[in-house]
Amino acid sequence: MSGGLYVHALDMAVGALLLAGVLALWRRDLAAIVRLFAVQGAALAALVAVLGLHEGHAATVALAAGILVLRAAVLPLMLRRAMLAGGAFRETEPLVNVASSLVAAALLALLSFAVTRPVVELAPSPATRAVPVALTVVLLGFFVLVTRRRALSQVAGFLMMDNGITAVAFLTTTGVPFIVELGMSLDVLLAVLVLQILTSRIRDVFGDSDLDDLRELHD
Amino acid sequence: MMTTILLTAPVAVPVLAACGYAALGWRRGTAWLAPAAAAGVLAAAVCLAVLAADRPRTGLGGLLRADALTALMLLVIGAVALPAMLASPSYLAAERAAGRATPADARRYGVLTQGFIASMALAVLASSLGVLWVAVEATTIVTAFLVGHRRTRNAVEAAWKYVVICSAGIALALLGIVLLHFAARHAHVPSSGALDWARLTAHAASLDPDVTRIAVALLILGFGAKAGLAPLHAWLPDAHGQAPAPVSALMSGVLLSVALYAVLRVKVIADVALGAGFARTLLLIVALASVAVAAALLLAQRDLKRMLAYSSIEHMGLLALGTAIGTRLAMAAVLLHILGHGLAKAVSFLAAGRVQQSLGTSRIDAVRALGGRAPVLSFFLGAGLLALLGFPPFTLFATEVAMVRAGFATGLGWAVTAALVLTLVVMAAVSARMAGMLLGSRPDAPGAAALPATGSAATGLRPPRVLTAAMGAGLAACALIGVTAWPLRPLLDAATDIVTGVSG
Amino acid sequence: MSAAGTVGAVAQVLLVAAGAPLLVGVMRQVRARLEGRAGAGVAQPWRDLRKLLRKEPIAPHGTGVLFRAAPLVLAGAALVAAGVVPLVTTASPLDGIADLFAVIALLALGTVFLALAGLDTATAFGGMGASREMVVLALVEPTILLSVFALSARVGSTNLGEIVTTTLHDPQLVVSPVSLLAAVALAIVTIAETGRIPVDNPSTHLELTMIHEAMVLEYAGPDLALVEWASAMRLTVLLGLFANLFAPWGIAGTSLLMLPVALLAFSAKVVVLGGALAAGEVFMAKLRMFRVPELLAGSFLMALLAVAASFFLAGP
Repeated sequence: MSGGLYVHALDMAVGALLLAGVLALWRRDLAAIVRLFAVQGAALAALVAVLGLHEGHAATVALAAGILVLRAAVLPLMLRRAMLAGGAFRETEPLVNVASSLVAAALLALLSFAVTRPVVELAPSPATRAVPVALTVVLLGFFVLVTRRRALSQVAGFLMMDNGITAVAFLTTTGVPFIVELGMSLDVLLAVLVLQILTSRIRDVFGDSDLDDLRELHD
Repeated sequence: MMTTILLTAPVAVPVLAACGYAALGWRRGTAWLAPAAAAGVLAAAVCLAVLAADRPRTGLGGLLRADALTALMLLVIGAVALPAMLASPSYLAAERAAGRATPADARRYGVLTQGFIASMALAVLASSLGVLWVAVEATTIVTAFLVGHRRTRNAVEAAWKYVVICSAGIALALLGIVLLHFAARHAHVPSSGALDWARLTAHAASLDPDVTRIAVALLILGFGAKAGLAPLHAWLPDAHGQAPAPVSALMSGVLLSVALYAVLRVKVIADVALGAGFARTLLLIVALASVAVAAALLLAQRDLKRMLAYSSIEHMGLLALGTAIGTRLAMAAVLLHILGHGLAKAVSFLAAGRVQQSLGTSRIDAVRALGGRAPVLSFFLGAGLLALLGFPPFTLFATEVAMVRAGFATGLGWAVTAALVLTLVVMAAVSARMAGMLLGSRPDAPGAAALPATGSAATGLRPPRVLTAAMGAGLAACALIGVTAWPLRPLLDAATDIVTGVSG
Repeated sequence: MSAAGTVGAVAQVLLVAAGAPLLVGVMRQVRARLEGRAGAGVAQPWRDLRKLLRKEPIAPHGTGVLFRAAPLVLAGAALVAAGVVPLVTTASPLDGIADLFAVIALLALGTVFLALAGLDTATAFGGMGASREMVVLALVEPTILLSVFALSARVGSTNLGEIVTTTLHDPQLVVSPVSLLAAVALAIVTIAETGRIPVDNPSTHLELTMIHEAMVLEYAGPDLALVEWASAMRLTVLLGLFANLFAPWGIAGTSLLMLPVALLAFSAKVVVLGGALAAGEVFMAKLRMFRVPELLAGSFLMALLAVAASFFLAGP
């Protein structure tokens, strides 16, 4: 892939990744959050594919296809099924209201730009320059995880965090060793399965998936 | 060949046992498969300890690697898993009798506990940081169902918090791994081994300090979450309080230490790449915060198992403090403390679990005058708690004294003093509750008598012989190691060399 | 300064002045058709203006000079903005003041005067509208500044003409995260600034929801005509600016021959954007007032990210 086009495609993929994250923070409609998560998965796959094409790694391109299947199809479908089974379609009022959390997201973005300075300076390239954006996605996911009350939104936040981390991994060194990547994907898949089962159990015993009800254990 | 078998055994034996449970279910004939597998792990650990004390061994194409530190951690896993698994048949029998567990639950318990032990063994045997991460995350997934196995509201809540907080924390560690990998690649470590402990330690001096600093901070925070260190400790009391007692023993006694093992390895790299100050400052902060949190919440604790869980946070804080001090003496004490804490905590949790099963509750104010009603059980509960509080002759006394000495010798006297004061608070809080539970002479006091006793309280309070033997062996080992570190001394020396960075 | 530039500048002012009510007419017509009504026709806003202009000027008791001056200032500011912003030509003789900050200040000036006039009437609705308008303005201004700043960072100048010219020469710039984020942010603030759904409803007189209409409730006759006309011009200028920042093709430079093409291209772009806006409004409900800050905080975040991306991402 030629220089200009490569940088361009890379920037677009990273931008889409970020935009999906920001919109997910914004929306309260659970269906929209799941859709945005699928979009983010596709953007991540595109990012990996672009990096693979640029470096001429067939394995990385194949990995991109795997990521596309897992994160843009399998995981969103699982989330969707959990949502339909749950019967709750809207986020209840989050712990931090949406306007404040958007401002917080702006601060998180600045933080990640400040923190990743050394990474960019160690090896300046179009890919490492995009690392701050990927880290912002990680922090946004973490923020969603911390502030949302619906079980499903928390899972989506966790998965967005993971998308961001995967993006950082590929942007810095075109991925971690294959076995680690495989294990990571497996772990994420299993974690989501566990959370899905727990979500249904929460519904069974609490009658709702609003995690505010989970406050029997405390000191 | 022999080495490869020994290296794979700690993972393979529990996996085989798990397959056995999956196929056959948990019944009279298979109930002793679990302790047998744990004994297998312990035996393999002993062999590896002899084998790896002088030089590291690798196997399975470099995927597994055992040095003295690994062998020591495997010993801890085996030594805690054995009593926990010995206690499992009687625990499950009591649950079945009380109608809280179906045969399917028992089968799942068998499969998951074995999977749990296998993934912990894999975590310490992994030669690469990446595989370690995968194994640690796998422990979260496996134990999630063990924590939530009672399916009550509390259990489900605890399981949810556990999975979410630990997965998020461990995700931070993954980010740290990614950045460390990046730094390693730019220090000309070849791609295939860029996450290998040995390679990373060897090339640590040429890692970019700024990137490594971010990576180390994330790794300590992330694995610290899994080790129950503040600020991401909130899951620990819930999960340890709700899990079945043998699982609590495993989680508290070993799982936390396995996560701390990762921190120990990271610190070796950080000390070379960044100088001793960075990791020390970070660890000091989380250590003191953890001990402070534990002390504050122990003061008003009303639940026996949660009390033990907070004691784990306290001990993890002390271990982090010892790691922060970082001298030879302190590190040797930390390693020994891991073993001693594992044994003492296992005994305490098993005894507490028995109390909970017999009385149908683990509320401290519901347990009265246990000493008169159940002398054996209260001996083990009391001795376990005393060991945890750091009374001689148990291991934790010797190691805490060593840490204090090392701390004053390195000019960290203020931190050690602060930790000591907080430990004193812990001691006061725990001993007050312990006295309330064990002593007294009115077995039919209104509070105790009014509570429903599931099962027959009189027989339930007398532990089965196997359980007594398991707890006795654990306590004896804890005391023996406390009096004389024999026969661990050569292994301990070699492991201390590794964690102080003297040898790779 | 070229002759073509001067002609272009005059032409774009005239086009905006004459075309703005027609744009409003088109938008109403699109809405009407989508809602299954026949609609009043594209020229209806002009007919309304003519009717209003014939009436006698009338002002409420107790209002001062501010009330009378506000429509003039509003219309004046809109006209100057129409002359300054590169809508049809990038070589306007006023290019020197076609600075991003100056244009934003011009548009804000009109809004502030209108809000002051709303307060001047001392009626409940006037005050309420003014305070709501100020809330929206306070949230919108930083976003506009940030997002256009993001676009200007890669050009190295805050001059609107130069930003448009650079984009024209280097079309690749349009497809970048910076443009993407800035476009989303600017689209939202344009909607808020021109008082469209979901922030404000231009056709409501329901006291609970109106913002813009509440401020101008006391105007009648030629004054009202002026306010309506100025609002239409603001809408046109902002839509035109939005179109030219992200799709500047067809705009005239120094060549006189390009001018008719540029006029046509500009009209087409604005009509398409306006039509899309109107079509979107059919499917949307107005946001409750307290959700509006959420929307605007979101656009602010996008703009901020656009600025950050323009500094940190590698340009092609």
